[in-house]
Amino acid sequence: MKFEKHCLWALMALGAMLPFVVQDQYVLHIAIMVLFYAILATSLNLVVGYVGEFSLGHTAFLGTGAYAAALLSTQYGWPIWATIPTAGVLAAIMGFIVGGITLRLQGPFFVIVTLSFAEVLRLVADNWIALTNGPMGIAGIPQPELLKEASNLAAKQFYYAIVWALLALALYLSFRFVHSNAGRAAVAVRENRYVAQSIGIRPLSYSMLALVLGAMLSGMAGGFYAHYISFVGPEVFRFAFMISMIIMVLIGGKGTLVGPLIGALLVTFLEEYLREAKELRLSIFGLAVIAIVLFLPRGLMGFITQRREARSSAATSLQSTPAADGRPA
Amino acid sequence: MSTSALNHNAPAARRPLTVRGLGKSFGGIHAVKDISFDVRPGEIVGLIGPNGAGKTTCFNLITGFYGPDTGEVRFGADEVTGCKPYHMARMGIVRSFQKTNILKSLTVFENVLTGHYMEARQPLWRTFFPGRAVRETELAVRDSAARIVQMLGLAHRINTPASVLSCGELRLLEVALALAAKPQILMLDEPAAGLNSQEARNFGEILKTLLGDLVQSILIVEHNMGLVMNVSDRIVVMNFGEKLAEGTPAQIQADTRVIDAYLGGGKKA
Repeated sequence: MKFEKHCLWALMALGAMLPFVVQDQYVLHIAIMVLFYAILATSLNLVVGYVGEFSLGHTAFLGTGAYAAALLSTQYGWPIWATIPTAGVLAAIMGFIVGGITLRLQGPFFVIVTLSFAEVLRLVADNWIALTNGPMGIAGIPQPELLKEASNLAAKQFYYAIVWALLALALYLSFRFVHSNAGRAAVAVRENRYVAQSIGIRPLSYSMLALVLGAMLSGMAGGFYAHYISFVGPEVFRFAFMISMIIMVLIGGKGTLVGPLIGALLVTFLEEYLREAKELRLSIFGLAVIAIVLFLPRGLMGFITQRREARSSAATSLQSTPAADGRPA
Repeated sequence: MSTSALNHNAPAARRPLTVRGLGKSFGGIHAVKDISFDVRPGEIVGLIGPNGAGKTTCFNLITGFYGPDTGEVRFGADEVTGCKPYHMARMGIVRSFQKTNILKSLTVFENVLTGHYMEARQPLWRTFFPGRAVRETELAVRDSAARIVQMLGLAHRINTPASVLSCGELRLLEVALALAAKPQILMLDEPAAGLNSQEARNFGEILKTLLGDLVQSILIVEHNMGLVMNVSDRIVVMNFGEKLAEGTPAQIQADTRVIDAYLGGGKKA
């Protein structure tokens, strides 16, 4: 818990310093995408890592948030300060509805039904032309007044600050959840539903809490995305987003808070630098996921924690011999 | 199911568990038929019988994992028949499982800490904005978890992942996990399975120390006759889903029907 907390503080502090060091728009754009994906991966991890149900429908919440923000700002002229939280609330409501139906299922059934929810929403976005403008999407989402006069670089810095704050909020809420009685209850449900019930836990309450929290966070990320890209189309429901999120959570380590951040960093950079090898890129990711699942089932962070635990228990049993003072994990 | 029953969390009330005419069939097979018995405050009751006699089904019926076809379960004055498992736990009836059931990827301490779920429950917003009250509760449950681990003799294993414990340690951890929920009635399903005779004896001693201080009464299903006869105040014998006999350990050991059905004739045969 301490280690995790320190890691999170260190990563967020690094993130806060970045825009002062880097003045390059392109790098800043990638950094914004890293933080955006970090929010998504963190929110997915709440469901996959802590409740232990594999949701393939997380784009439903991302898309709901993105469309909500897009519609509210283009049609009703809401400012970004209002649209992002509202996007979160609407996605949370969507999460409650989807969860109410799907969380009664477990294992493969849950996976399939959540997947179909995202797919249905994509079809709705594609075909409800009156509201969503169909496959054309919603373009020209207005930028905040503040940025009217600002340079491109200043705009990037502004969005960077917003996404950093959103990620900080996401991590704060997740950290509180995970290290609370509610988080322990969710883990108990993940590990063994019967034991959970026998000690007084109602499984649905906690899988629902994690799902709604995750939905809210990815809805806010979606709202941010709508403003930042200034265009939202049905492809926010695409499976590609889902794949990126899954890879990030798995590579980084599900069930850890730091893991998805590392995953988001690695995958976004790889996606960017392997852009030239378009087709090959997906194959490489596929191989990477297979390797991770086979050799590091708990992801990079799980691996590191395991090493630390092994080392500290070895250290205590050898009464802290010099062998234990290797490089810090 | 009575919802008013759910508010009785006060440990003060010493209530008996009353089972009357409990029955359940699975596709024409009567797994449990017309079972009645009581577990009174301050008692350890043993539930024994041959394999397939319906003991575990009985447990599942009482704790709400199955809904009974007939009969009723009362806890004090409250009718609790067919309540959800987590309702039963919240009322103070906590069980362990026959197949070892613990939270495998967590450490011993984390397992027992998780068991304090009900004690550490808080309003939802407190999860995200914990104040001093929550921190104090956390300290208290951590303290209590450490004490329970200590009491069951797992102190040297406190930070060991549950997945690497020995069979005997696992059984103790299961009891610790159930105890952490601070039950009034503790229901143990074959807690000594896989223990050697020395471990089983120690386990029996631990059980006796629990009574009074930590739990009000214990209902135990067990095949280790040495253990059951030693710890139980009363024994209920089941055979083919029906109640065969009930009495003190001495009465049961002398009962010819029980000997025929389960205990075996030994030297007399």
